[in-house]
Amino acid sequence: MGTMLDHGSNFWKPLVIHRNNQMPTRRHAMFGAVLCCVLWACTPVSTTAFAADSVSPFVAGFERFARHEAIDAASGGRLLVSELSCTACHAVSQNSLQAKRGPVLDGVADRVSPEWLQQFLLSPSEAKPGTTMPDMLAALTHDDRQAAAKALAAFLATLHKPFPEIKGSGINPVPLEFWDRGNFQRGKQLYHNVGCVACHAADPDFAVVEIAQSPIDQSLNQLDADEIAELGLEHVARKVESIPLPNVASKYTPIGLTHFLLNPEHVRPSGRMPNFGFGAVEAADVAAYLLQRQTTDIQDAAFRTAGDSSVLSDSESVIEAGRQLFASLGCINCHSVTDFKGSNVVAKPLAMLDFESRKNCVGSAVEGIPHFPIDKVQRQMLQQTAASAVRNKLNSRDELQARLLQSNCFACHDRDKLGGIGRFRRPYFETVANVDIGDEGRLPPALTGIGKKLTVASMKSVLAGKTAIRPHMHIRMPVFPTAATKELPELFAAADSIGSQPTEAAVFGNFKSLATEGRALMDAGCVQCHTFKGETLPGTVGVDLAGVTDRVNPKWFYDFLHNPSLLKERTRMPTFFPNGISQNKDILNGDTRKQISAMWAYLKDLDRQLVPEKILVARNQDYELVPTDRPIVLRTFMPEAGTHAIAVGFPANIHFAFDAEKIRLAQAWRGRFLDAQGTWFVRFTPPANPLGDHLAVFADSVPFASLIDAKQVWPADAGAAGYRFKGYRLDAGGVPTFLYQFGNYDVEDRIQPGKQLETQQILTRQFKVVPRESSVAEDRSLWMRVHQGKELKLTKSNSCTNDAGVVVTVVKGVDGAAELRRTAAKAEWIFPLPKTGELQIEVQYSW
Amino acid sequence: MVAAVNDFCLSFRLFVCGGWLRVAAVVLAICAAVSCASRGLADGTEEDYYRIISVATSKATADSRSANWKPAPDGLALEVSGLTILDDKRIAVSIRKGEVWILDGVYDDPPSKVSYKQFASALHEPLGLLKLGDSLYTTQRTELTQLRDTNGDEVADEYLTVAKGWGVTGNYHEYAYGPKLDKDGNLWVTLNIGMGLKGDMQARTILNPTLNVRQARWRGWGMKITPDGTMIPVCAGMRSPSGIGSNAAGDMFYTDQQGNWVATNSLHHMREGVFFHHAEALASMNLPGSPIRGITEVPNGVPVPQAVKQFQQLKPPAVWFPYKKMGQSATDIMLDESDGQFGPFAGQLFIGEFTQASINRVFLELVDGQYQGACFPFRSGLASAVLRLAQGTDGSVFVGLTNRGWSSLGSASYGLQRLVWTGKVPFEIKEMKATATGFDLVFTKPVDVATANSSESYAMSSYTYLYHSTYGSDEIQTQDLAVKTDRVSDDGLTVSLAIEGRREMFVHELIAKGIRSADGEPLLHAHAYYTLNRIPK
Repeated sequence: MGTMLDHGSNFWKPLVIHRNNQMPTRRHAMFGAVLCCVLWACTPVSTTAFAADSVSPFVAGFERFARHEAIDAASGGRLLVSELSCTACHAVSQNSLQAKRGPVLDGVADRVSPEWLQQFLLSPSEAKPGTTMPDMLAALTHDDRQAAAKALAAFLATLHKPFPEIKGSGINPVPLEFWDRGNFQRGKQLYHNVGCVACHAADPDFAVVEIAQSPIDQSLNQLDADEIAELGLEHVARKVESIPLPNVASKYTPIGLTHFLLNPEHVRPSGRMPNFGFGAVEAADVAAYLLQRQTTDIQDAAFRTAGDSSVLSDSESVIEAGRQLFASLGCINCHSVTDFKGSNVVAKPLAMLDFESRKNCVGSAVEGIPHFPIDKVQRQMLQQTAASAVRNKLNSRDELQARLLQSNCFACHDRDKLGGIGRFRRPYFETVANVDIGDEGRLPPALTGIGKKLTVASMKSVLAGKTAIRPHMHIRMPVFPTAATKELPELFAAADSIGSQPTEAAVFGNFKSLATEGRALMDAGCVQCHTFKGETLPGTVGVDLAGVTDRVNPKWFYDFLHNPSLLKERTRMPTFFPNGISQNKDILNGDTRKQISAMWAYLKDLDRQLVPEKILVARNQDYELVPTDRPIVLRTFMPEAGTHAIAVGFPANIHFAFDAEKIRLAQAWRGRFLDAQGTWFVRFTPPANPLGDHLAVFADSVPFASLIDAKQVWPADAGAAGYRFKGYRLDAGGVPTFLYQFGNYDVEDRIQPGKQLETQQILTRQFKVVPRESSVAEDRSLWMRVHQGKELKLTKSNSCTNDAGVVVTVVKGVDGAAELRRTAAKAEWIFPLPKTGELQIEVQYSW
Repeated sequence: MVAAVNDFCLSFRLFVCGGWLRVAAVVLAICAAVSCASRGLADGTEEDYYRIISVATSKATADSRSANWKPAPDGLALEVSGLTILDDKRIAVSIRKGEVWILDGVYDDPPSKVSYKQFASALHEPLGLLKLGDSLYTTQRTELTQLRDTNGDEVADEYLTVAKGWGVTGNYHEYAYGPKLDKDGNLWVTLNIGMGLKGDMQARTILNPTLNVRQARWRGWGMKITPDGTMIPVCAGMRSPSGIGSNAAGDMFYTDQQGNWVATNSLHHMREGVFFHHAEALASMNLPGSPIRGITEVPNGVPVPQAVKQFQQLKPPAVWFPYKKMGQSATDIMLDESDGQFGPFAGQLFIGEFTQASINRVFLELVDGQYQGACFPFRSGLASAVLRLAQGTDGSVFVGLTNRGWSSLGSASYGLQRLVWTGKVPFEIKEMKATATGFDLVFTKPVDVATANSSESYAMSSYTYLYHSTYGSDEIQTQDLAVKTDRVSDDGLTVSLAIEGRREMFVHELIAKGIRSADGEPLLHAHAYYTLNRIPK
């Protein structure tokens, strides 16, 4: 106790790693100490664990709300009816009162230790404090209890079923015997990060990064208990008890727990424990953590003193006795066992129950019926409400609340001031990389007004686990079984929407032409926090706005943009229209409605739109190749230069692409060079497009050919024409010289910016053609194709232009009689080359 | 810290420009992403025997399959796609974005003063690197390239095309791997099958009308490039042959990855005229130079043993890696040439595993002149997908990591680690040899005779796969086999098992959880998988 006071400011908090080295201020420490005393007086010692000696069933929504009158008694009573599975035996018609029921017992022998089962059957609430499983043997004598538990456990130990095969794939690693390879540390991290601690107790030793307290928490910390009560803040201030876990290590085999975590619904169809989408290794990690952690939640003493009762019987007669007990006790009402022969036990309908009598499931133990050790408050609420609950049909609001209570959605989500993560659990919820974007960036979203905000389709998608728009949060939205959630979207819509949702056209008018303005508006602020198609400003994390127009209703979008805090208290979303007036008069004349409509238009078309300019610019800084002092070479796929393209960019802002397959200068352009992202990092290897302008296309095949005469068709295929690409050499300045072999000639081909011709930048190309030794004496008939086009026109004797305006000028090395020839498809300007010796040829390109 | 980050950005810009730079602090920071080695399977753990040292590992913020993937903002995108040893201080690595870097100080422990120098750039997704003579050789998407520094500034100025001519449609999946060197001085390159060829890509393909298969030239083939630069197509039927390597005898092998036509990951001996599995590779069968002719029909949907009988050119792999049990994407092949510096497995092959971020081990033997053998788990817990392996001059193994485009276990997206033998000998099945009556198991340490003799110590089953065009195959025709111990050798190192009912062409899976060493240790890895193509006479 003394120690606790000394460290009072921390005792109720998780262990905190200070991100900076600042010591807490004196004032802070003092407040902490005061607060410590206040809370010490009104909260249990254990961090948030349900008291280990409690025998009454723990129903999360009941403990958090009904017990403290935060919801009405009728709601509390109804919640007990479904969660204690009263209706598994006591018939009722309402959906919201459907029994939760217990685990499927197929394969329980492989999943759970039979010794633990025996202990659990002997005394459910001792083995698993807070369990909603009734004591089925409560009225028996000590010896009979022992025998019955032993028989039931022996029977359960025969219920084998192979675990499902976990499918591996390129995106799902499933190592050999993964359930035995869990990593404690990683499991601990996952347990505390992904959301387990929203319901279950955190490890007091777990270190979290300190996160600034919300204003409410700050003020709560400065109030004493009376003040909190006066202000009606008890519900916010109160610590939320954790759903107790049994002694996991005694109960589960590693393979059993790992498979349970991989697919809880398989064993517990009620889905009170949801599916977090763990991979095989993650599930094994969490299982390893739960199995190995030193927990003080539950004392295991009962097991150690159990003596010979823990020895499992495999005698056929004992097993058969267990099977019969399983049938006669009505276990099958709650626990399904495939092919079990025996029918459900039928009890009085719920409406006919006499709670005044003490001889019932919730009174004193009666042989042959379940015994629920509920406490006084629980009994009162059940008595007061069970009967009426059955009679009264719920409106959609109450029906919705009943569902949210059953699935314990309130553990994470706040709706109409009920529920939410709670002040003592918040520190476990972090933003990825600890980027500070406030509580919205780390806590599950509030559900207040969600029916107004989200479309029914998008709610369905979220509940089905198909929409994960918050990758910046460590916590995961788990998936609940369809049965538990399928009606929720319509219930939300019914409970929240006043009348029907206005159409897009009604909200935005004629918005479709405004996408360009919408994109420009994004740069004003949206890009500071939001992601667009996975692209962000550096260091930014936030909800991706791709698909937002499918997710949210038009009216909500309009209202939210218009005045965010009106719809969402304490949101970090700033107001761009204070008092409804746009701060940006340059776009759409500052018309508020048109601007909001333009944003909708842009976001609706985001698939086809460029990301906002600021993001584009930032992105280009990472990937745009900008030659400054030397040329930059990039080998890539290009639409014109083909799959063997070698692009070369020059600081002079004139660039070209060489096609090393067809051995040709394929294309040149001016201005910006290339973006390398697709080539460097994109899996599907998109071709690189020239970023600049003044694109010019050159030859469609090789520069030289051996022709019999000037009529022979120019070869189209470099390989067939005897060409072989040999690579390139970089000179001291980084300019490549392409090397290729053509028959018996070695060619060096160098292309680079030439001296500016009047105002135009040009490319200069120098060839060196060297005969190999063996061919020196050859009588050759070599031709060079200098230019081609649909049309060609000689402008000077050494200069020729084509229909696309590309001009080629022969500077040196070719002096034979040029041929301007024409085929059906194109015109060509070809030159015969000297009959012997090495050739040095230079041409210039301008366009 | 903020200042340090800025310093780093600055220094990165500097070394991008090509100057030598000491980046000690940076590498230390990168190394802080510690490898979380998972627990071994037995009392001892894998890290007791083989220690992982992180030279540099980084975590990208985007998911490995994200369309907007970008490297971590901390500098060099060290997605290692090729690894070659230069000397006892330096290695060279190629990275997927198209560069070659020389890393100095990589053997230091801890590697706190590694320096990086860019040797080459503008390569189109190079997926291999080999030092040969005064040059480095790499395979780009379109060609095998020799990189030379001719002026002594330790930067390549010649990018010489050694071989090209295979088809490149622009399809992402047309990876080209290599080169690796064989005993005769030939360089080997393997070529992926393209996937989902559409539109313009189709125009760059060739069709085999008899079999109705279409791919670009030589896609799915293993190519040999002779020292004079002639490229020879050797064997066909590869799907995703990302690993090439020689065994101790100098014969060349490649690994394949599960998918269409490929039942599970596999290791194959590359030899002339052999067909492995992927039928689309036969689009190039009738090209000049093809050593494979006359295939008019490919069986589809039959068990592998039957397919091998029916289809004369189809040769089974030397080793199947049963899916999930022995990884999910086999990659590089590395021969342990260290003569014991890397532990007790000298002369065996080590195989990279992408999805599970691990390394497996292979024992091969010749039966009737054909390779077959067993695979064993070896080391898990690498920081990311293992794509490349290379043995350093001290016997330790450099491991090149990158998981972009797929997924993997591990805490990082890419990087370089080194695996060092601690000097302790793990209790392992070193060799599993087929005999006329069963298998001989050779252990790294003497066994406890009682457990070795107990049939309770072993479980064996055998199974095969379907040969078909669909993606992967389940294990089929599984049978459990009774194991009896015939004999334990006097030195306690060899246990001869007698097995009734073995089947040729089937994988024989052994789980020896009960056996103990003479010191009472359980096996570090109790699983072994022998691909029994032939039963020795």
